[in-house]
Amino acid sequence: MRAWHIVRSRLRSLFFRGGRESDLNEELQFHLERETERLQASGLSREDARLQALRLFGGVEQIKEASRDARGTAAVDALSRDTRYAVRRLLRDWRFTSAAVLTLGLAIGANTAIFSVVNAVLFRDSPFAEPDRLVNIYQNDLGGKPLVVVSYDAYREMAQYTDIFAAAMAATIPFPARYLHEGGIRSGTAEYATATYLDVLGLRPSLGRWFESTEERPGAPLVAVLGYQTWTRVFRADPSVLGRIVRIEGAPVTIVGIGPANYRGTLDVGLATDFWMPVTAIRELNAMPWMRAGPTIIAPFFVKARLREGVTVAQAKAAMDVLAPRLAAALPEEVRGGGEFAVGTGITLVATTDVRIHPQADAPFMAIASGLLVVVGLVLAIACSNLATLLLVRGAARTKEISMRLALGATRRQIVRHLLTESLLLSLAGGIAGCILAWWTLRVLQGVELPVTVDLAVDYRVLAFAMALSLITGVAFGLAPALKATKIDLLPALRDEGVLPIDHRRLTLKNALIVVQVAVSVLLLGVTSIFLQQLAEARERRVGYAVDGVAMLETDPRFAGHPAAAVANMSDELLRRIAAVPGVESAALSYGLPMESAAVATVVEGASETRSSGDVSMVWAGPGFFETLRIPLLHGRVFDARDRPGTPSVAVVTETMARRYFGTVDAVGRRFRNDNQPNAWMEVIGVVRDTGARSLSAGDVIARQPSQFYRSYTQSGLVPTTVVARTSGNAAALLGAMQRELRAVDVTLPVITAQTMAQDLERSQVAPKVVATFLSALGGLGLVLASIGLHAVVAFAVARRSREIGIRMALGAASQQVVWSVARGVAGLIGVGTSIGLVLTILIMLALRATSGSADIGIGNLDVYRPNIDPVALLAIAVVTAVVGVAAAFVPARRAARMDPLVALRHE
Amino acid sequence: MSDQTDVLQGTLDLLIMRTIALEPLHGWAIAQRIQQISDDLLRVRQGSLYPALHRLEHQGWITAGWGASENNRRARFYALTKAGRKQLETEVAKWERLSAGVNLVLQRT
Repeated sequence: MRAWHIVRSRLRSLFFRGGRESDLNEELQFHLERETERLQASGLSREDARLQALRLFGGVEQIKEASRDARGTAAVDALSRDTRYAVRRLLRDWRFTSAAVLTLGLAIGANTAIFSVVNAVLFRDSPFAEPDRLVNIYQNDLGGKPLVVVSYDAYREMAQYTDIFAAAMAATIPFPARYLHEGGIRSGTAEYATATYLDVLGLRPSLGRWFESTEERPGAPLVAVLGYQTWTRVFRADPSVLGRIVRIEGAPVTIVGIGPANYRGTLDVGLATDFWMPVTAIRELNAMPWMRAGPTIIAPFFVKARLREGVTVAQAKAAMDVLAPRLAAALPEEVRGGGEFAVGTGITLVATTDVRIHPQADAPFMAIASGLLVVVGLVLAIACSNLATLLLVRGAARTKEISMRLALGATRRQIVRHLLTESLLLSLAGGIAGCILAWWTLRVLQGVELPVTVDLAVDYRVLAFAMALSLITGVAFGLAPALKATKIDLLPALRDEGVLPIDHRRLTLKNALIVVQVAVSVLLLGVTSIFLQQLAEARERRVGYAVDGVAMLETDPRFAGHPAAAVANMSDELLRRIAAVPGVESAALSYGLPMESAAVATVVEGASETRSSGDVSMVWAGPGFFETLRIPLLHGRVFDARDRPGTPSVAVVTETMARRYFGTVDAVGRRFRNDNQPNAWMEVIGVVRDTGARSLSAGDVIARQPSQFYRSYTQSGLVPTTVVARTSGNAAALLGAMQRELRAVDVTLPVITAQTMAQDLERSQVAPKVVATFLSALGGLGLVLASIGLHAVVAFAVARRSREIGIRMALGAASQQVVWSVARGVAGLIGVGTSIGLVLTILIMLALRATSGSADIGIGNLDVYRPNIDPVALLAIAVVTAVVGVAAAFVPARRAARMDPLVALRHE
Repeated sequence: MSDQTDVLQGTLDLLIMRTIALEPLHGWAIAQRIQQISDDLLRVRQGSLYPALHRLEHQGWITAGWGASENNRRARFYALTKAGRKQLETEVAKWERLSAGVNLVLQRT
């Protein structure tokens, strides 16, 4: 009852503070008047009576304060008073405030953004029902490590262990799938999956249904489940998309459902799968002829199974070990022996909860992610130490103010509370700034044109992470200087005699932090320079084919719904028309974009050893291709009308491939084959000069890819999709004419890409450009933070030494000497930091140069750039760092030198 | 120091509650009444009167409301609540025991 009363009174006083205040005023006013009247009645004059009353009354404000205290609203009042006071102080010291908020905001922003990206890729909660009963099954590669399941039949064999598995599912790795949407062609990805897919995972479609097992049979009408992310982003979450027909890879496919909202695909690495389709649809949608034929579907599959109640992972492993030799015996010729997805005998079964992406890829991915987190963590540590320095500097500068307030009767608690409020406000502002920055960064990242749907969002955990960081920073680094600042011996501080004893340990730590900051910034800038070097080199590299005047038009007749026979004539007519456009010197057809190569494993006739897939890549070409792109022929001939589907398979190889694979540049007449096509020998008919390739494995950079061979679409049964034309005039102007001709041939043919070769090369460098931009942004951020830190440290030193500086100047020291004495230590710090950063950069460069130019990351090879050690770039980084650092230190040093000796001696 | 203020404060609360037990009064009148009744022996400092009133109100022993004063002006009147009445009884009992004790000590030593 009484407790309730107190609560009510407190609430009332909180919400009706204004009313309370005026009540209190009026009450005290009334008392004063009444007292005045009483005194007047006893014979005093009105004025005397009033003065007497006031005297008797005492301090009106004190009474008010005490009455408010009695009411229990003191804490709230104090909080709002502290806040107002802190805001006033922070606004007055706007330089300090903006430095601190900027520091925190940048660091928290960078952390939140990186954490969001890493989070999107690695640290998602498992969305599956009863995830501990799920297992992943892989067939092992030739080295005995888990790879993929290589055929639909192999999956069927596994799924037959129904005494072990309650259910099993399979889905291919995401295949590129282009689809028609609102009149334009979009790039997407598709997984070809079994009807059991969603049930095994224990998930439900968010709308509609998953496909039935009847729809998995060959010849069934094509259906697809749309990914939730694609549905919301591309289809604007329109529910009427159910039942709609979407042309995927040219074929009409009916959308029957929308995937689960919290699930993005089998390969959950930040990319969202756009479509799931029945496993048999791969035969209808994949253009490669060998995918269409054959007794079973051969494709890289991921297989997951749900264990029966009570079955252990070990039991399931044992069952698969029994199956392994039988599967190995029935292995299709295509996946035996070598190549990218060649498998051996073993089967690996692991609990799904133990795998993030793929057993072989997890470690490198985790290493990259942790590396990123360490880098941004360092940035945050630097920012926090900067904030601590700034607060400490401020605390030192306010020593006198604090002692004055202590002397005037403020309690230590009150002062600590003030200082703490200030730093909490600071970190809150920093946290908000950081969140805005992170949100903005992610929006920019999201805006980068990528061929796939990337799911990035600042989620609530990331937000909480950022806010917690900012709060912990505020409390930790606000409290330490606050306590230190109030531990003051009153008298000497007031008399301003005793300069506080310098805490050497602390200063050393701060110096070390500055050195680390400078070193990290230099290192980041150094790594950026490696990327810039790679970009510049790719730009300058002799691509080996014509760029100026070359225009390309890519279409896909399947989207217009034409039968194959009619389509061949159509492309021929298109080629004829474009070749007739005035100014066109040469034109050719090809499949895909020119120089778009795919890594293949090959076997040379007479040699037993299989070349690894990273060694050589294949490009689809056709008659007129080499002439149009001006690739010089060294030996033999190039493709012409002789090469038709019935004639023996032929290939054109580059000079490097000829030398490496056949031991001679003149390899005409020699034979080799794709590793996965046992009986399809290709005869070398010509050798051409090396060219650069657009290799997808290297992040779409123009990679050095001298080992290449070309095949002709005329022999493959593929429908050519691209016209390449070279003009003596403007390539960009030619594009318009080419599109007009396309419409003239058939108005329904879609334009997939229409660009000049120059634009294509420019676009192929988006990924390294993004990385370079990101790294230089981090490097710049580091440098900004380091200079804020330097500025604070120098300001700190100046504040502490102002008396000494004053004495020295009064004794006749020149201002340069003062600046030098302050800057000397700073120059040393910058020097040491820069040297460490440069040495680390050079070590990284040396390590990269020591590699073979490619690194195995488990699920494939990654091209590694081997940089040159460029002394000019390194020198430039050192100079920039030195200039920024010295400039940051110079400002407070100058202030010290400009100090009036008298003022400096009095020091406030 | 602090003990003494505590005693004084407790005494002031007791005196205030006792004074308004008869009829609701405003602050100035409470001070006057205490002074008159104690034959000017006790003087209430305004500096402690109002905080005490607000504390008692906050604790729920007295309530306040606006009313017309003896010279027809708006004044804040304080009255004892039910809980206050009970509290007053215990406080009075406590005080009587205390003063009796103090008296005995003073007389017998």
